[in-house]
Amino acid sequence: MIRIPAAALALVLFVIPWTIALAKPVAVAGGVALALAGVGIGGLWRAPLLASACVFLIEYTGALWLARAPVGVWGAVAFGLALLLLLASIELGRGGRRATIDTRVLRSQCAAWLGFTTATLGATLLGLSLASGLTASIPFTAAPFLAGLAVLGVLFALATIVKRPAR
Amino acid sequence: MTGRVTPLGLALLSAAAWALSLGVLFARPEPLIATIPLALVLLTLALPRRAPEYALTCALSADRVFEDEGVTVTITLTATSPLAVVILRGPLARDVELASGKHRAVTSLGPGETARVSYDVRCPVRGVHDFGHIVVHVRDRFGIRAWERHHAEPRVLRVYPRVAPVRSLPRPLRTQASVGDYVSKALGEGIEPGEIRQFAPGDAIRQVNWRASLRLGSLYVTQHHREHNADVVLMLDTLAQVGAAHATTLDWSVRAAASLATAYLARKDRVGLINCGGTIDWVRPGSGRVQYERLADTLLRATVVFTYVQKSLAFVPPRVLPPHALVIAITPLLDPRFTRTALDLAARGFDLVVVAVSPVDVTRATLPASALNDLACRLWALDRVTQLDEFRRHGIPVLEWNAASEPLEAALAGFHRRRARLATAG
Repeated sequence: MIRIPAAALALVLFVIPWTIALAKPVAVAGGVALALAGVGIGGLWRAPLLASACVFLIEYTGALWLARAPVGVWGAVAFGLALLLLLASIELGRGGRRATIDTRVLRSQCAAWLGFTTATLGATLLGLSLASGLTASIPFTAAPFLAGLAVLGVLFALATIVKRPAR
Repeated sequence: MTGRVTPLGLALLSAAAWALSLGVLFARPEPLIATIPLALVLLTLALPRRAPEYALTCALSADRVFEDEGVTVTITLTATSPLAVVILRGPLARDVELASGKHRAVTSLGPGETARVSYDVRCPVRGVHDFGHIVVHVRDRFGIRAWERHHAEPRVLRVYPRVAPVRSLPRPLRTQASVGDYVSKALGEGIEPGEIRQFAPGDAIRQVNWRASLRLGSLYVTQHHREHNADVVLMLDTLAQVGAAHATTLDWSVRAAASLATAYLARKDRVGLINCGGTIDWVRPGSGRVQYERLADTLLRATVVFTYVQKSLAFVPPRVLPPHALVIAITPLLDPRFTRTALDLAARGFDLVVVAVSPVDVTRATLPASALNDLACRLWALDRVTQLDEFRRHGIPVLEWNAASEPLEAALAGFHRRRARLATAG
């Protein structure tokens, strides 16, 4: 049952880059990612699904790079949400394998993820307004270095949160 | 109960790292924006969370059943703190099959809410099965932090061997002094009428045969035969077994032993048991319902323990193997050591009956159909005829039972023992 929404999310991840650039490399990367996602969804295996998520990201970034399209914020948010929900749905599916699933779980999960989507949209809007204010103050030549440093900082912070001692 | 980050959390971290790297490498902000949902979910790990609290109970509809009977397992989980996703793995012993329902359940509970999981299991094989291990796995609403607890309680399900109704039992040569179902030649207290004789001082008035007294003109009394019981010792061969799982010669032997024990106990006999294998254990002869429980408890643990050592019945206490007992050896006759033990018992004057559980049919059922296998089984069957004749030459009654194709009652019905001394039993 959980495989149907997961497959739909994989299709969304496959289609979003196509709306940006209809190119052969994008199609190839998307096909590979879709195949990996199919394996992961079919067997409820984590590793192929994570690999497919990475390939989907390559497809998406490649499409953006090839098309040299203007920045599309909501498409990026939709892509990120679809990626997150795909990974989360398979994890839920693994937990519910060969199990009786109570409808209360489905209700609470739907409510949780709807709330989270709303929060994501709000956070994105907030982030965009902050970023637009900062853009003017950052020198053009320093921007790549600042971006790299920020990425490293974010990654370090997330890794610290994930790897800190359990409570 | 300590929480830990689930593999989903690590996968999200990996995907976020990959997206950020791609965004910087290709100088596009979209992959960075796509990371926002992943990063937001991971940030929830920074929030302090209390370990989930709940109360768990598990109940079995019965703690003792016979083979092929079913049991309902009911698990009740009551949350005292919010449980976003609970994955409950109920107990399911190795040799037990799910009959209906599932032993795994996924639910979500608010504080004070209760979830009840119920499923039926079928027990196809005897034994003591552990039903005390329950795993409760709780996840937060996004599935990135989990708590797991293994609940282990002493809760066992005893599956006793199947008992078949048996009426034609091998009769013992000698009986004991206690009251039972075997009518003795000797006269005394009983309900089976015997001879009529003239009244003598000391005779009870209720023994007077009024019809004979009126006809013959003086008082006559009816005498009765005594009714005695017997000691029966079941000797189970646990040295070797053949056959498919749950239908080995030992399984059939155990079922035969349980059926015989039930039938003899119903006749008020005292029944004992000797498991004669790699290890020897026994149950002293006794009677009644409690004795059945003792025998069944020993039978359900009967298993083959391989050993090169020849175990001797000399170590068995005389109380376990009383001199006048009827010994019923239940064996597939696969190990010559058991044959030697049985012949030794017969030589020591024990009243011995051998119930030979045929391993040929049991083994044949596990082999593919081929002319070679057919020939091998026929040769084996011929070899067993010679083996059984050796017992018969020693004057030991032997009953061959094809367990896979014939009920025990049918095999016993055709078993007639010539007992010269039966007439003088008691």
